[in-house]
Amino acid sequence: MEYALFYAEGADALPYVPADDNVGEWVDEVEARGVSEYGERLRPEQDATTVRVRGGEVLVVDGPFSESKESIGGFDVIDARDLDEAIEIASKHPVAAFGRVEIRPFVRWPDAAPDSRIVPAGFADRPASGRRYLILVVVEPGGERAAADGGEAEEGGPEAWVREMDDRGVRLFGEILRAPADATFVRRRHGEVLVTDGGFAESKEWIAGFDLIEVQGGLAEAIEVASKHPMARGGAIELRPLWPLDVYEDHVARTEREAAERGLRLEPTATEALAGVAR
Amino acid sequence: MTIPLAPEVAAALRDAYAAEWARVVATLIRATGDWDVAEDAAAAAFARAAETWPRDGIPRNPGAWLTTTARNLALDRLRRRGVEADKVREWIAMEELSRWSGGPPDPADLAGDALGGEPAWDDRLRLVFTCAHPALPMESRVALTLRTVGGLDTGEIARAFHVPEATMGQRISRAKRKIRHAGIPYRVPTADLLPERLDGVLAVLYLIANEGYLASHGDALLRLDLAAEAIRLARLVVALMPDADEARALLALMLLQHARSAARVDAAGDLVPLPEQDRSTWDAAQLAEGLALLAPATNARRSATPSAPGQAAATRPPGPYRLQAEIQAVHARARTADETDWPAIVARYDALAMLADSPFVALNRAIARGMAFGPQTGLDDLALLEASGRLAGYHLLPAAQADLLRRQGETDAAASRYREAIALARTTPERRFLERRLAELHVG
Repeated sequence: MEYALFYAEGADALPYVPADDNVGEWVDEVEARGVSEYGERLRPEQDATTVRVRGGEVLVVDGPFSESKESIGGFDVIDARDLDEAIEIASKHPVAAFGRVEIRPFVRWPDAAPDSRIVPAGFADRPASGRRYLILVVVEPGGERAAADGGEAEEGGPEAWVREMDDRGVRLFGEILRAPADATFVRRRHGEVLVTDGGFAESKEWIAGFDLIEVQGGLAEAIEVASKHPMARGGAIELRPLWPLDVYEDHVARTEREAAERGLRLEPTATEALAGVAR
Repeated sequence: MTIPLAPEVAAALRDAYAAEWARVVATLIRATGDWDVAEDAAAAAFARAAETWPRDGIPRNPGAWLTTTARNLALDRLRRRGVEADKVREWIAMEELSRWSGGPPDPADLAGDALGGEPAWDDRLRLVFTCAHPALPMESRVALTLRTVGGLDTGEIARAFHVPEATMGQRISRAKRKIRHAGIPYRVPTADLLPERLDGVLAVLYLIANEGYLASHGDALLRLDLAAEAIRLARLVVALMPDADEARALLALMLLQHARSAARVDAAGDLVPLPEQDRSTWDAAQLAEGLALLAPATNARRSATPSAPGQAAATRPPGPYRLQAEIQAVHARARTADETDWPAIVARYDALAMLADSPFVALNRAIARGMAFGPQTGLDDLALLEASGRLAGYHLLPAAQADLLRRQGETDAAASRYREAIALARTTPERRFLERRLAELHVG
């Protein structure tokens, strides 16, 4: 069964200790076990761009849709035997030791082929040929839920968008997630694995699905792609550039190198991108 | 052949329901992978029994009759839906070849069996662990355990927890949905996970028992006896995992507390504190069973399943349920309140305080120390606890202070603490009890 793992600090985060970061070993293990489909780190939330469409107008905001403690720092797609194996895999990830890992099952379509996978086979080895963004599809309280609730395909659902972006060669893969009530959170504290239910608050925004896109036209094109997503009308679309991670790098050295970069916005602002200034 | 009398059939049905519900549902969930189909088919099998047993007589092995009927009904339901019928047919063929053809085996035989390194767990144990999975919200674990393992009706559970039936129904169906959608496995956890997952199961049972205990303070008349349900479920877990020391200790704790339920409230519905209870009304059979469960497990039991937690009880420090049960055992053994071995109780609270930093443990430990070493010792502890602010607004803190002050003869200070406690008390019986204590101060 396939799951998305989302990594975040969460409310009770401990300080990150680079020397304890064994993500390379974790990647080796999940690859050796054949449970890993794809995973990547995201650039910090300063480089996020949030896109909404209201009354036919595209509203673009620099920054993430949520507060930074909840902001996602990376993701993985895994194929585990069941939730217990997913919990075990999540609990071994270095983020579980200081932040939290959210396990989200995907919506399973009744007509899907039994061997179909969220991430196309061989994708992880394919080099990027454009700029990649993770698109987070966000349901906001009070907004229309569209087909994001894990329900059936509806009119105005994302199918037309998926078809268009697949044809354009922009969309690499993506899927709708089951509602947050089906989520499981995993932390590791004092040598113990803590498993909790999603604890879904009706008043909070939540991620209903994601897509990975690859564009030639930078942030401006990514914003255009996001604004066409039906959920931009009822909710929000967060665009996050990928920040590829060399898992075998020395994490202490990497952390020092990235410390300066972390606070900076490397992505152009939405205004610059749309005005073509950044080019 | 004589036609059985209706009361006999009714009794047989009741017994079969209590003894077989969980087994039938648990087996069908494993076979079909569908909780709703399993529950529907089990309920339909019991309904069919109510129709046919008065006419045809009570089957010699009611459990086997119910399992067979329910699995046929489940197969019908799946066939009508046109999915997974092959899987069920395959399962039935397998079952018929196996030992189950002679009727369901005794759980104790199965729990200890080791087949290919993996214990051959009873299906009911899969059910118990799945219902208590940590990825489910706690309130759902409690509801699902009572519904699916306990066989209680949603309405009964809803009334027991003071929520509308629709809310409870939703809670249960949402939990089943999460089991399906999140891929919560239907199995007994592997050996490395077993100790912590068993803690989770026991936490659910403990919560149910506590809810039952609290209910006995209030409008208990129309409510289900949740404490008795918790005992029934704990008995099942102990039967299925005889080596788990904490499970035995939890059952002992429940029995020792339940044994006193008649003495806890007087004819007027007022609370009777432990020292003033009429010990002759304590349930001797439950006390004896509880005390026996706390005796060390036999060697035969300890060696049965090497992977089971608690098997090294002799070498491992006692867990929280054992410590709590041992405290209740000290009370149970005292023929009068004055005979209570308070230093023994203090030793258990000391150990509990090391296990968990809980203000409630600290409160009870202070009271025990006050009883063992003189009121001033307890009052000093309580002053520290009060200063920490961790029990702010909790009526039992000033109530404990009042009680120790009263024992020390400080009437005025005791009266002011009783007033404080009365203002904070949450239920009428508790308030009435504290008011009575306050009145006694002025009389004396």
